[in-house]
Amino acid sequence: MREVISARDVCFAYARVPVLEHISFTVEPGDYIGLIGPNGGGKTTLLKVLLGLEKGRGDIKLFGTPLAQFSGWDKIGYLAQKSPVAQSRFPISAQEVVLMGLAGRGARVGRGELKDVYDAMQQTRTRQYAGRIFHDLSIGQQQRVLLARALVSKPQLLILDEPSTALDAQSREMFFDLLGELNSKHRTTILLITHDTGEVGKHISKFMYVDKTLVFFGTKQEFCHSQEVAKKLGPFAQHTIDHLHNTHGHCPLGADCRECHHG
Amino acid sequence: MVEFLSYGFVQRGLLAGSLVAAACALLGVFLVLKRLSLIGDGMSHVCLTGVAVALLTSTSPVYMSLPVVALSSLGIMKLTQKFRIYGDAAIGIVSAAGLSVGLLITALAGGFNTDLLGYLFGSILTVTAGETMLCAGLLVLVAGGIFMGYRWLAATCFDEAFAHTRGVPTQAVNTVLVLVTSVAVVLAFKVVGIFLISALIIIPPVSALLISRTFKQVLWLAAAFGVGSVWVGIYASFVLNVPSGAAIILVNLIFLFVCYAWSKGVHRG
Repeated sequence: MREVISARDVCFAYARVPVLEHISFTVEPGDYIGLIGPNGGGKTTLLKVLLGLEKGRGDIKLFGTPLAQFSGWDKIGYLAQKSPVAQSRFPISAQEVVLMGLAGRGARVGRGELKDVYDAMQQTRTRQYAGRIFHDLSIGQQQRVLLARALVSKPQLLILDEPSTALDAQSREMFFDLLGELNSKHRTTILLITHDTGEVGKHISKFMYVDKTLVFFGTKQEFCHSQEVAKKLGPFAQHTIDHLHNTHGHCPLGADCRECHHG
Repeated sequence: MVEFLSYGFVQRGLLAGSLVAAACALLGVFLVLKRLSLIGDGMSHVCLTGVAVALLTSTSPVYMSLPVVALSSLGIMKLTQKFRIYGDAAIGIVSAAGLSVGLLITALAGGFNTDLLGYLFGSILTVTAGETMLCAGLLVLVAGGIFMGYRWLAATCFDEAFAHTRGVPTQAVNTVLVLVTSVAVVLAFKVVGIFLISALIIIPPVSALLISRTFKQVLWLAAAFGVGSVWVGIYASFVLNVPSGAAIILVNLIFLFVCYAWSKGVHRG
């Protein structure tokens, strides 16, 4: 099956200061990837470069098409770390915010689009806010409406930049359940930046660790064994994040897990 | 009042003023939203270069200013995008360049004269029939553009990065927005004068924003405040014998205070 994202030798610099160096990876359909790394490690920049919001060097393909020629934006849902919509004082309803997710379909609202908006708001349990002014909603409610905006085009790839930071415990659980359902039932590919490492390890299938370079990209089991990750995080954090360990602190990999035994 | 309306130049001034004020207010809604509202101020200073060249060469200040201001507006965009300069700083750079070149040409041509002062402070009652037609064309362009491209325009102004990831041609939307704004600025300098154009772009949308509950309401009310300020301002200038440009802006400020008081009252209620 066609790769969802293919990145080859991607580099990016702000005013000659390198932020990303020689990053290459491939995202397969159905992957659920947790993108982690230190603050300032280039995670958000990497997502922006992949989406063409920042011009980097290297070869990027989305769904097999080079980024410069890519036009199937309905296949991608994006939720940024901070949305200017949330900072605007202009009176725009939550429903209009979600409708923006379909703006690529044409300059005017098409038939049937309100049904898609209704479905997306139902999915994120925000239908009751449809007519409310967006900036009157709480930050957590706004975040769920913005998630509905990312979902409204029924994307095959979801790119999310720290989506759960503003959510309370209940909303966070609902949020990760929804992502899990999208991934397992609809095979939606998910690339998710998060510092919510206590939660994310339960849900994802792969980890990507970026600290200017691609330190690690692989399955949770490979993460558990990775020397590079151990060097960056230390064995304790490494094994807490990957969630392969049971509640008693035992690693299910047992004697095979060198890191545990080193710890 | 009847006598006032019976003069041909007053009718033309009211019509041209209403058309350009509505266009400026509608554009202003999107510019305020994009935090680019001072672009009108920057472009109006660049107008001085166009006016100075026109007075030097005895050509039409409006037609001479159009290409100069349009190119400057594209310059502001390039500065923000290519050189990663903040929008307000880019506007400041282009504005200073426009003002200094205009003053230099004026000095070389023999200093200020009454014609130039007329453009600095507005001379709405000298608007020609051709310029009135241009104002009508501008409003049709602005209103038609908003009607046809509302979603792209709103998406780009609210959240440009997200709009880009939806496939919205944000670069084209921005270019059209600043180019149309440059035309509006050039046509507005006869109405309120170079110094006060930005007020016609900023104050009506801000007033409307204070009391509106939907985005479409902001658009309608901003246009209504712009047009209302021209009518009340010109009448006040006729009765009180004061400059029309200043009167129009002061009426806009009164609208702003009333809207502010109204919004406070609503919140208390």
